[in-house]
Amino acid sequence: MGYPHQPHPRESLVLSKHFGTPEARTLDGWKKRGGYQALEMALGMDPVAIQNVVKESGLRGRGGAGFPTGLKWSFMKIGDGKPHYLCCNADESEPGTFKDREIMRWTPHALIEGVAIGAYAIGAETAYIYIRGEFTEPIERMEAALVEARAAGIIGPNAMGTGKTVNVWVHKGAGAYICGEETALMNSIEGKRGNPRIKPPFPAVAGLFGMPTTINNVETLAAVPHILVNGAEWYKKLGRPDNPKSTGTKLWSVCGNIVRPGNYEVEMGFPFGEFLHEVCGGALPGRTLKAIIPGGSSVPIITLEEAERGLMDYEGMVAVGTMLGSAGCIVIDSAQSMPKQIARLARFYAHESCAQCTQCREGTAWTTKILERMVAGDGTAEDFDTLLEIAENMTGKTICVLSDSCATPVISGIQKFRHEFEALITRTTVHAVPVVVA
Amino acid sequence: MPTLTIDGHTCTVDIGGTILDAARAVGIDVPTLCWYPSLTSVGNCRICLVSVEGTDKLLPACATAAEDGMRVTSESHAAVRSRQGVLGLLLERYPVEDIPAAEARNEFEALVRRYDVPTTHRAGLPPRDGDARDGDPAIRHDMSTCILCTRCVRACEEIQVVGVLDVAHRSDRAQIIVGADGNPEHAGCTWCGECVRVCPTGAIHDIIPMAVRAGDGTMLERPRSNAMPPIDRTVRSVCPYCAVGCQLDLEVRDDTVVHVRSPWIEEATPNRGSTCVKGRFGLDFVQHRDRLETPLIRRGWVKRDGRWIFDATHDTASMWPRRGGPWELIEEEGQTRKRGPRSNPLQRSTSGIGPLGDPRDRVATPLAWYAPFREATWDEALELSAQELTRLRDTSGPSSLAVLQSAKCSNEENYLLQRMFRGGLGTNNVDHCTRLCHSSSVSAMQQAMNTSAASGAMREVEDVADVIFLLGANTTESHPVFGAAIKRAVKRGATLIVCDPRRIELASRAHIHLRAMPGTDVAVMNGMLHHILALGLEDRDFIARRTHQFDRVRAAVQPYTPERASQISGVPAALIREAAERYARGPRSSTLWAMGLTQHATGTDIVTSLLNLILATGMIGRPGAAMLPIRGQNNVQGASDVGAIPMVYTDYQPVTNPDIRHRFAQEWGVPDDRIPLKAGLKVTQMVMDDSPVRGMYIMGENPILSDPQVAHAEHWFRELEFLAVQDIFLTETARYADVVLPGSSFAEKDGTFVNTERRIQLSRAAVPPPGDARRDLDILIELSNRIGLPSPYRDAAEVMDEIARVTPSWRGVSHARLESHAGLQYPVHDAEHGGTPFLFADAFPTTDGKATFFPVEYLPPAELPDDAYPFLLNTGRQMYHWHTGTMTRRSFALDARESTPIVELNPADAAAMGVGDGEEVVVASRRAEIRIAVRLSDRVSPGQVFIPMHYREAAVNLLTNPALDPVAHIPEFKVCAVSVHPANRGQSVHSATTPLQATSWTSASPAE
Repeated sequence: MGYPHQPHPRESLVLSKHFGTPEARTLDGWKKRGGYQALEMALGMDPVAIQNVVKESGLRGRGGAGFPTGLKWSFMKIGDGKPHYLCCNADESEPGTFKDREIMRWTPHALIEGVAIGAYAIGAETAYIYIRGEFTEPIERMEAALVEARAAGIIGPNAMGTGKTVNVWVHKGAGAYICGEETALMNSIEGKRGNPRIKPPFPAVAGLFGMPTTINNVETLAAVPHILVNGAEWYKKLGRPDNPKSTGTKLWSVCGNIVRPGNYEVEMGFPFGEFLHEVCGGALPGRTLKAIIPGGSSVPIITLEEAERGLMDYEGMVAVGTMLGSAGCIVIDSAQSMPKQIARLARFYAHESCAQCTQCREGTAWTTKILERMVAGDGTAEDFDTLLEIAENMTGKTICVLSDSCATPVISGIQKFRHEFEALITRTTVHAVPVVVA
Repeated sequence: MPTLTIDGHTCTVDIGGTILDAARAVGIDVPTLCWYPSLTSVGNCRICLVSVEGTDKLLPACATAAEDGMRVTSESHAAVRSRQGVLGLLLERYPVEDIPAAEARNEFEALVRRYDVPTTHRAGLPPRDGDARDGDPAIRHDMSTCILCTRCVRACEEIQVVGVLDVAHRSDRAQIIVGADGNPEHAGCTWCGECVRVCPTGAIHDIIPMAVRAGDGTMLERPRSNAMPPIDRTVRSVCPYCAVGCQLDLEVRDDTVVHVRSPWIEEATPNRGSTCVKGRFGLDFVQHRDRLETPLIRRGWVKRDGRWIFDATHDTASMWPRRGGPWELIEEEGQTRKRGPRSNPLQRSTSGIGPLGDPRDRVATPLAWYAPFREATWDEALELSAQELTRLRDTSGPSSLAVLQSAKCSNEENYLLQRMFRGGLGTNNVDHCTRLCHSSSVSAMQQAMNTSAASGAMREVEDVADVIFLLGANTTESHPVFGAAIKRAVKRGATLIVCDPRRIELASRAHIHLRAMPGTDVAVMNGMLHHILALGLEDRDFIARRTHQFDRVRAAVQPYTPERASQISGVPAALIREAAERYARGPRSSTLWAMGLTQHATGTDIVTSLLNLILATGMIGRPGAAMLPIRGQNNVQGASDVGAIPMVYTDYQPVTNPDIRHRFAQEWGVPDDRIPLKAGLKVTQMVMDDSPVRGMYIMGENPILSDPQVAHAEHWFRELEFLAVQDIFLTETARYADVVLPGSSFAEKDGTFVNTERRIQLSRAAVPPPGDARRDLDILIELSNRIGLPSPYRDAAEVMDEIARVTPSWRGVSHARLESHAGLQYPVHDAEHGGTPFLFADAFPTTDGKATFFPVEYLPPAELPDDAYPFLLNTGRQMYHWHTGTMTRRSFALDARESTPIVELNPADAAAMGVGDGEEVVVASRRAEIRIAVRLSDRVSPGQVFIPMHYREAAVNLLTNPALDPVAHIPEFKVCAVSVHPANRGQSVHSATTPLQATSWTSASPAE
């Protein structure tokens, strides 16, 4: 937390190496640090060869879904005669997640480079970086860096003098969480209401402006230059040796009731318990940790005990009943009321529902209504059934997963902290009683 | 093509077809809410989720492509549970207490019942809100029942291509909004009612402008359609307004048409279920209290010694001059001060129609108009009519009689009426309002290719045409349903070229707008053809194989360089070139035109120059290359087809041919020599000062308002010896009649109508005529019998059988065949033939099958602006009114929209003369002047003004120039010179700019 950046010795710095160094924001400063070597290299390669390197590296999407990046790129048919587009998803709005923000604030050229390589690798001449509207500083940084890069001929109609066209544009969001959903994001760029689209067709077939499109997260694209420069083998070695499915480093945003909140970059598979207690400093004095939402607010809530068993990669998180998601880690301690926290999350989703699908529009509102009633002490025993019934209606039945994201913490919260809800109904105090004591 | 099984049924759908398509094909009813045929599938209601084997998630049937080998279960346990969940969630905010126990009132409630979902308000969420305007005369919103399926949003955007509605906000506060500020008028709403049609809950519903009797007998004044008592029956009818020929479903209760619904979108109707504001909300005139219910005879007519004579001393007849009455002449009325108009529609508030009150009190026939008449029996009225018609025939000769037939009446009625006058009274003085609309198109088309109707169909234009060339047609207002189809075509990717002096809606959507000076179209067409020839884009093969005399046209257009055409028309030469190239390159260019080309003293020339363009580029006789003169009235095509014009019998068989005359005389059982071999008088000739006509019969026309130079016409009709009018209201013309015969509206009779694409459609009687009024066919049969022409028809179907016998291209038509809703596009050669969607694939109907080119030179309009009359007056129609307003001004919803006459004036001109929007001006021509309110509009160019034709109190035809086209005798309604003064000052104000430079208009001869 705080700058100048003082990384913890157990971090592995790849993406965050230059966080806190203002000079790295400038083109000269970035070049001094090895910037744009990868792009130069890439523009001399066959796009498919780049796809193969990225495939080989095992890089997976850092936005939440963890889809293999190289594979995603290979869906784009180079030379199909259609314009291709790359969208960089910088609409980082998931509660608890703030890693992309720091990449854009401190190393905007790293993202431009990654975007340019990605665009070239999928046969796109145009890439959009869709940045969350509230990110005023990152937008400024990105735009300034783009001006520099354009002026230097790094991007544009003759990128780095290779005769290849790579145009990169910033598109500002207008404050809707749902525009971080890839198809809603495309609608938003097109100037339409940011409603998610029905899939299929998938973006690689008909995406932005109806054309083949790839959407990648900021952190994903920022990792690509490092992979090109250092090689896939180097990247694959980052991570635990017994899980080749998760490679590289991962930025973790940590917030909540913890001594040292902030962004941390660790190798895939880092032990979660050590991360929480050692790297992040553990619980605040006099408190105990109660619950962790490790991957942004959409993933199941786990208890501290479950978290301590976890390993910080895609598979390691699944193993303890949750997901890596966007690695926005929300730490909740014993001083907090779980029903209140969950009600707040539900309210967020209700507020952000695009209102297309019945289950989401009505379900999130109703769920919130019930949870807030419970928090206010007016809950009833039937509310559990109603909540679970609505949650069932909201799971797996809608166009996008916002509805599921609302249902997930409700279901896991009731499962794991039911006694706190019951106490509210029976009006007994349960605060400061940890469920599981480590 | 994928083959899949649904609930055990095997079915095959086209590639790209969905599971829902497949289910519908085999009759499996997968429930839907947000899905609607022809609208984009958005898959948002999630009610149609079905189980597919091998997939753990439920899939939306409406948005999931059918795949080979798929095994679908439409009502699996999971799917049903999911549907119950969706319905339950929707019900949480639906006003369930309103759901009647006995029956579902709408699609949504029907699904709630089908899935047996309990209606409990457990969530306590507030009802949905949204647009809560009141006071709108036609469409109301009750957003508490909205389920946000967004069908209305998509229908407005995708079917009508207007885009008034959208979804605003998100989460549970999401709602349907109307325009950006809640005012539909600001968003371009035309009140077509498409949103009403598609709404599954009645959240958007219509206010029924017709009085309805509730179950307990009380009158419901303008009830909401979603609260209407059940109806007795639904009758399929054809809209009585324009020639698109929309089919409508009239809902009848207690022998009253209480509501209009459009047919299901997937039915084969010309409108595919759409309507415009007039079709859906403008039919309450049918039961307006002004409807004539009993025959009227002018006071003074008495029967003495078995004969009717006019005795000016009898009764109160002496109170008025012969054929006069207690009313102002239209000319006098034109100069009266007008009621304050509503302001520019773009500045109207949402507060509705309140201050205007009930239009039924304002535009109703003044009671004084009835004073010169007495109520009579049918026997008296028919006896008097028959006596006078036969007396004039016998004393002044058959040519002293004339009949004006009606493009509003059916083919059967028009056929019988011309039969009566030709076969019974021996005159060819038979005409109708086609004279005033497309007669110049007909004469040009007859001359070039011996045809009188469109070569193609509207559907081709919408679905196939690559280029749409639209001239002098304000389609989105005059033929709104077709206008929407053109907008859809443009959305699909067709190129739209509009040639119109006004910047009408389609012009602003067009790729090229040729904003030519009124009446300069010949120069534009010749200039385009010049450029096409210069580039060698003409279709040489077509010209060689299928036409004659092209060289004459090649020579004639030689002097019309685009620059020269530009000099005459004011259209930039570059635009003329671009339009010419795009049109000629097609590959499938459709050509559409209407009154803007035809109503000129050079109308035949103008259309001929357009036909030259069509023929030189071969843009005819192929699907998508349609020649489509857009007809005006709902049956102007049919009335012409069945012989309601002075030169021809049915099917345009000339009256000058003795063999043809023999056939008709034989069919009618009259001697050949009773019918003259000479063509009769045309409308515009009948009403001339030196016309021989002394007695006239008018069925369903209002010529005093629709003829040019109204003041003259009003005078002329008063001088007749005998005038009988058969109509449904006491019109401006009928008030001068000796006998008024109360006829029937479209809703009260069976009959066939022909739309603009030659489609013959059957309209069915929904209700009986009011009071003592009779069906028009019955009146004509009875009158024919009384003048000595036996007419043994029992119904319209029998008349149609006779028409089919004497009309070669209708040979296969019968009412029985027309029962299928699509109608038949003639030619229909025999009882097996399925009709002809497009013509001239191989040959034209000329003796050698070839068309002929006729060279045309540009001639300026007959009267041009000058110092004394510096403005150019253009006339035409408005969206909410129809012709002389007889019907629409008696419609609650329509008259509330446009209740006062206006003149469209360019803001620059208005500023120059210091008048503002809504202020009154005097518009004067050499013939008369009227007072009228200004509507500021940049649709008109500076120096031009536009006045709609619908208003008696400011009758624009007082001003228009009666100059006639020498061939078709169509008057020049579209161009005359006027002056415009602020009404309170009285000094002439010149146009702010002077676009009408003398050179534009006088450089007539290209030989110069």
